[in-house]
Amino acid sequence: MIELTNIQKRYGSRVVLDLPALTIAPGERLALIGPNGSGKSTLLRLLAGVICAEEGTLRLDGLSRAEIGYLPQHPYAFDLSVQKNVELALAGEQEKTRKAQAALERVGLLHLCKARANRLSGGETQRMAIARVLVRPRKLLLLDEPTASADIQAIELIENAIHAYAQETGCTLVFSSHAPSQAMRLSTRVLALDGGTIGELGETEQVLQTPQVESTQAFLKNWKI
Amino acid sequence: MDSALERALRLLVSGDPLLVSIIVVTLKMTLFSSCTALLLGAPYGVLLASARFPGRRVLILLNRTLMGLPPVVCGLLCYMLFSGVGPLRALKLLFTVAGMVVAQVLLISPIVAGSMETALSPLVGNIRESARGLGLSRGKTFLLTLNESKYALVSSYLLGFGRAMAEVGAVSMVGGAIAYKTNVMTTAIMMYTNMGDFSYALALGVLLLIISLAVNVLAHLLQRSVGI
Repeated sequence: MIELTNIQKRYGSRVVLDLPALTIAPGERLALIGPNGSGKSTLLRLLAGVICAEEGTLRLDGLSRAEIGYLPQHPYAFDLSVQKNVELALAGEQEKTRKAQAALERVGLLHLCKARANRLSGGETQRMAIARVLVRPRKLLLLDEPTASADIQAIELIENAIHAYAQETGCTLVFSSHAPSQAMRLSTRVLALDGGTIGELGETEQVLQTPQVESTQAFLKNWKI
Repeated sequence: MDSALERALRLLVSGDPLLVSIIVVTLKMTLFSSCTALLLGAPYGVLLASARFPGRRVLILLNRTLMGLPPVVCGLLCYMLFSGVGPLRALKLLFTVAGMVVAQVLLISPIVAGSMETALSPLVGNIRESARGLGLSRGKTFLLTLNESKYALVSSYLLGFGRAMAEVGAVSMVGGAIAYKTNVMTTAIMMYTNMGDFSYALALGVLLLIISLAVNVLAHLLQRSVGI
């Protein structure tokens, strides 16, 4: 069980995240939605241990760093081959090549496994980064806009890969998305953030189809199921 | 200019012992000082860009200040340290190539470090965050950061090499521009200009540019061959 209590994150004097209480159950798939600047990335970075909160407590249920997989909003393509980039996540493991190639195949990038990663397009980089984070089993998977810069075909590939991974590993999945339809497809619960605070939290269908809070209604107003 | 170029080429093929000595001393001093500055400045620059520790900003500020250290001031400091009454007189570095190298290293290392820090700073946030997301250790992350700095490393070295080659203030104070011993191309250009032999000075200037061009071409070929 992941528990956040009275979390407050500030940049200078600006409070960017203010969460009185949030609990994420093991195996749950939580989607973070909300407009730009609502605190989605900050929450994910906090859970990933990239940043620390000024106040409050975060309990990760004894998860070690190796058990947490995190895809940042702007994943870095290291100046190595695509395959070597994926193998980075497999330090100390057997059959690195086979595992890396299997992960690349899932996102439709196996044909580029020998290519230099920093020469890939934006969408290809995103798919490589997805393969890199999904290449080994994790207990907690954090994805910051996993389909950013991906085209429609790539979005389907990435979503299928995430869905299959979550099914196989039973991991807890927390991801942010600007697309409510993606939240609908991948999550069981939705947290709608508003100015760094909890706007609305509930079952995916309930929040997306019948939002109760004005800020969530405003965010979803142009979205048709 | 044509006659200077002609004279430069004539000088090159003539094998004039004085010119050969000037070129050898220049290359020796420039290569030693730029390589030492790279060995000291590059890891320091990577550290300043990638590590987070108390006092980091002060060190960056200090390094940026040292990047603008006037060569004559550096030369004066070295002169005072190495002179007969200086604290480092026992090293007998005054009016030697080694002393000139020390002065050059003091001048160039902050430039190399600053160049590396400037080139890597925009990248390290993304590198660190991606590495963290994969559960990589700090050591592995540092090695990956070094790997990402290949291009910056070459350009920082060229910056240092160019500065070492063009430097005149510090090397003339510490080296004394002694013929066949510490006279380098820049100090020789100054000397021949003062003597009124503009043509020879200009020829040396052209040679200096040719050497600089050759080093840059070599670096470019190296970059292309390793695909940086």
